[in-house]
Amino acid sequence: MTNGHPTREEDFDLYVLGALECDEKPAIESHLASCADCARKLASARGRVAAISFAAPRVEPSATVKDRLLRQVRAESQVPSRAASESAKVPGREFAPPGPPRGIAGRWFFAILAPACIALLIATIILWRENDRLTKQLADLGVSVDKTQKQLADAQMMIHLYTAKDTIKVALAPKPGMIKGDGEVMYNGKMGLLMYDGWIAPPPDDKSYQLWVVPMEGSPISAGVFNPATSDTAHWMSKVPEGIAPKMFAITLEPAGGMPQPTGPMVLVGGT
Amino acid sequence: MSKTGADLPATDAALVHKITQRDEAALAALYDRYAGMLSSVLNRILRDTQAAEEILQDIFYQLWCGASRFDPARGSLPGWLLVIARNRAISRLRCHNPAAGEEIVENTVVMPFDLESSAAQQQLLARVKGALESLPKEQRAAVELAYFEGMTHSEIAERTGDPLGTVKTRLRSAIETLKRNLQSTMSQNT
Repeated sequence: MTNGHPTREEDFDLYVLGALECDEKPAIESHLASCADCARKLASARGRVAAISFAAPRVEPSATVKDRLLRQVRAESQVPSRAASESAKVPGREFAPPGPPRGIAGRWFFAILAPACIALLIATIILWRENDRLTKQLADLGVSVDKTQKQLADAQMMIHLYTAKDTIKVALAPKPGMIKGDGEVMYNGKMGLLMYDGWIAPPPDDKSYQLWVVPMEGSPISAGVFNPATSDTAHWMSKVPEGIAPKMFAITLEPAGGMPQPTGPMVLVGGT
Repeated sequence: MSKTGADLPATDAALVHKITQRDEAALAALYDRYAGMLSSVLNRILRDTQAAEEILQDIFYQLWCGASRFDPARGSLPGWLLVIARNRAISRLRCHNPAAGEEIVENTVVMPFDLESSAAQQQLLARVKGALESLPKEQRAAVELAYFEGMTHSEIAERTGDPLGTVKTRLRSAIETLKRNLQSTMSQNT
């Protein structure tokens, strides 16, 4: 570092990347706090490093995530307004400074009013705590409802897939000499829905399994990356582009996290 | 026929402004624009669809709650979303608990790419993949271990069995090459 500035621009990228060791960071961090020029360079380095994200294979989230998000947003906008209207009804929340007590009558009035105010304050605190507890309970219930709805949506999709006449079922068998395992794929091109069920030995540490739909024409399409590190069973549904006429389904062994196109050996395979 | 102003998709800045006015449709539009991009990186890091989807939902909820604190003039929205997604996923992977509240104001990200259309995202995807594939295999692996697994130099050295100095040189060279290639992408984009 010269005058506290990192000597090379790549230092910013390495810092953002998180590659620096704990003892290398404090010098950069204390300098960044006071140097606007380096803070600008850091912001650019963040953008460059973030672009590496685009090396990840494309995975679309399931439609239920957006539904859950919008429900969460709606629930959030309802809870504060309800809480606000409830709090408006709570006696004692409105602040009205009492006038000074006048004479004996005023002192008597104060003597009666003071305990009443204390009682109201206690009641307000109790109500406020209760309101807080109920709000938390409501939020927990919302999460639970979300989970149940997701499970229900998955179950409905599974039923559709099972009962549709045009769903095809393909057994996957191990390639000779490869890792042992077997599985089954249910696929419906009209729905763009695929379900995999099977068992397979965990891959090596730096590898993942990846399921592919191999169409009659064109390149294979990724239908999910999985890593049965803790259990040798795997079962999931995934969305794939609609209208694909599959020639075969295959599971390959790929570098950890999967690849845009198959590069590793086929482990399980099945033709339509 | 040329598009009228009404036909053109809203900019990120306009949508963020609408979110500050509690416009759910604006949040849905930004979700449609960037959820696939974020889901990809979250799945790559976590290799767990459920965890990736939880974080994805949480990021957009954070945007909903804190949109007024985000200034699109100071940085790129997709850049910020990617930084947050990666930070959250790496923290989950390593069982850390980040201080999420400060992320909106702290993480200014300058990303001079237009990512508001899926075509632009595809274009950047192709260029980043091309840039990474042009790196020697060991350099590419070092970048991926650092970015997608959040490893430091010494952790990469331990994982790969290479000397620490070699790993440092490798990663620095990779960063220099990527920076050069991405800067040429920026100049082509602008």
